[in-house]
Amino acid sequence: MSKRSLPRLLQTPAVVLLLLWMLVPLSMTLYFSFIRYVLNSTRRPEWMTPSLSNWRGLGNYEYVLFKTKDFWFAIQNSLLIVGSILVLTVILGLAIAVLINRSFPGRGIVRVLLISPFFVMPAVNAVLWINMILDPVLGLNGLAVAGLNHIIDGLRAFPVIGNFFSMWPEIEPISFRATQTSAYAVIMMVVWQWTPFAVLIFMTSLQSEDESQKEAATLDGANAWSKFRNLTVPHLARPIAIVVMIQSIFHLSLYAEIEIVSRGNGNKNLPYLIGEFTSNNIGAASATGIFAVILANIVAIFLLRMVGKSLMD
Amino acid sequence: MATVTQHSRFGNALWPVLAWVVALIFFFPIFWMVFTSFKTDADAVKPENLFLFTPTLENYVNMTKDYDYWRFATNSVITSTFATLFALVVGVPAAYAMAFDPSRHTKDVLLWMLSTKMLPAAAVLYPMTFLTKNFLDMYDTRFLVILVLCLINLPIVIWMLFTYFKEIPKEIIEAGKMDGVSTWGEIKDILIPLAWGGIASTALLTFIFCWNEAYWTVRLTTIDAATLSKLIEGNRAPEGLFFGRLSAVSTAAVAPIIILGWFCQKQLVQGLTFGAVK
Repeated sequence: MSKRSLPRLLQTPAVVLLLLWMLVPLSMTLYFSFIRYVLNSTRRPEWMTPSLSNWRGLGNYEYVLFKTKDFWFAIQNSLLIVGSILVLTVILGLAIAVLINRSFPGRGIVRVLLISPFFVMPAVNAVLWINMILDPVLGLNGLAVAGLNHIIDGLRAFPVIGNFFSMWPEIEPISFRATQTSAYAVIMMVVWQWTPFAVLIFMTSLQSEDESQKEAATLDGANAWSKFRNLTVPHLARPIAIVVMIQSIFHLSLYAEIEIVSRGNGNKNLPYLIGEFTSNNIGAASATGIFAVILANIVAIFLLRMVGKSLMD
Repeated sequence: MATVTQHSRFGNALWPVLAWVVALIFFFPIFWMVFTSFKTDADAVKPENLFLFTPTLENYVNMTKDYDYWRFATNSVITSTFATLFALVVGVPAAYAMAFDPSRHTKDVLLWMLSTKMLPAAAVLYPMTFLTKNFLDMYDTRFLVILVLCLINLPIVIWMLFTYFKEIPKEIIEAGKMDGVSTWGEIKDILIPLAWGGIASTALLTFIFCWNEAYWTVRLTTIDAATLSKLIEGNRAPEGLFFGRLSAVSTAAVAPIIILGWFCQKQLVQGLTFGAVK
């Protein structure tokens, strides 16, 4: 066996498996996106089996782009959800990492408590938040608002300040099951789950920061903010890039949370829209799938170029 | 200097308190889930029983009857374990070759592998359902779940192992070659003992990802191979009727993983950042 062929042989199973996993379903999606293919049709039963004779060309793409308003809404919502999660987790993660990057009593326990949400399975995360916490009647959200109303009611009985409080209307709890509010609920629960991840990475990075540089800056009379701005932030550029990349991979295909929080209420991202089409119109689902692949590729090229460079050296 | 000292003394007292408050806020939802799991379904929705109630274990006792918990838990354990094992069996030789005998394409192969992870699952959902239902007769089998979990985690497994292996001095492996050790011997007797810690934390993280996966496990199963994700997803909207028992089954679904996670939180960083953050 030649010197070069053995390493190649060792990689072969992994490469072949991933190649099959990527190419076989994807080429089927591509094929289905060009034909008329539905799961149930009494009027046109011939559309129920995939066949080249049902060729539709770019018709499915046209249908998805121009005949449904859901597509643009789903894209916009996907970007809103992913974008908000990224911004919030990076800001919160930085703040908390700086906060606990010092020694204090119980630091180990604080770390353990903080990281815990990251290990909660997404299905449990969503069920827990939308029911036990955010439910407008029975969840903590509803109970807290009811309690507040009760207190205000009590204050109305008092002289003088009672007049002031009697002008207050009853507070209505926010329901997180409407279209827009359930997107906020999804953002909230994912931020809760992924901020610990950002904290962990930023903290690890902060610990490797060059302390002598900071001391020198202190001697030169730099204040805390300018040390943070000019020394810490550049040091954190790479971990921030990585937090953004890993989270983009996971959140562009966010599904379980949306399925659990918003089934049928109109809040959807791209994967969820594909899921809806898949219940009948496979052609449209496949065309939407191809758009999702294109979107993911744009993000992937951008991110891999950014991160790939720093990973290899 | 006096002002600086005063400032930091003030800070020394304040920051730990703030850190504790933040940590408790983040942990609160988990605490609340566990707390609620000890209430009866009736107590769980009564404001007067918010904090004061008679704790009960009935939700845990009835978990088998109410939710058939053990069937789903067994599936989760079996599929996550075997998917992790398969991913390692395929991943260790590949990462070994890439780390110790890289070619000019190794970097591209690694980046390509990572890019398969970015392929949106939803885009290939129907073909997978179609193939496994109509042709392969694998729909709703544990084997299918194992295969899919293995494939979606393989890129991360290879990346993680690659970063761990890269830190082993090449000379050690070369020395083995000089002594005429076979490739299999090199992996078994030199690489695996040296990289044991890295392999173990890769396995632990992969297991966690498999256990928590909630797209393919929900969509490619109905009953026979359904995992805990599917169980919880199926009980998504109890309308307040079953908060107690739902909290209990959720706690049982996440507790093993949270505890595992506590033990591997340090490795998590190196694993998930592919060694780029140290």
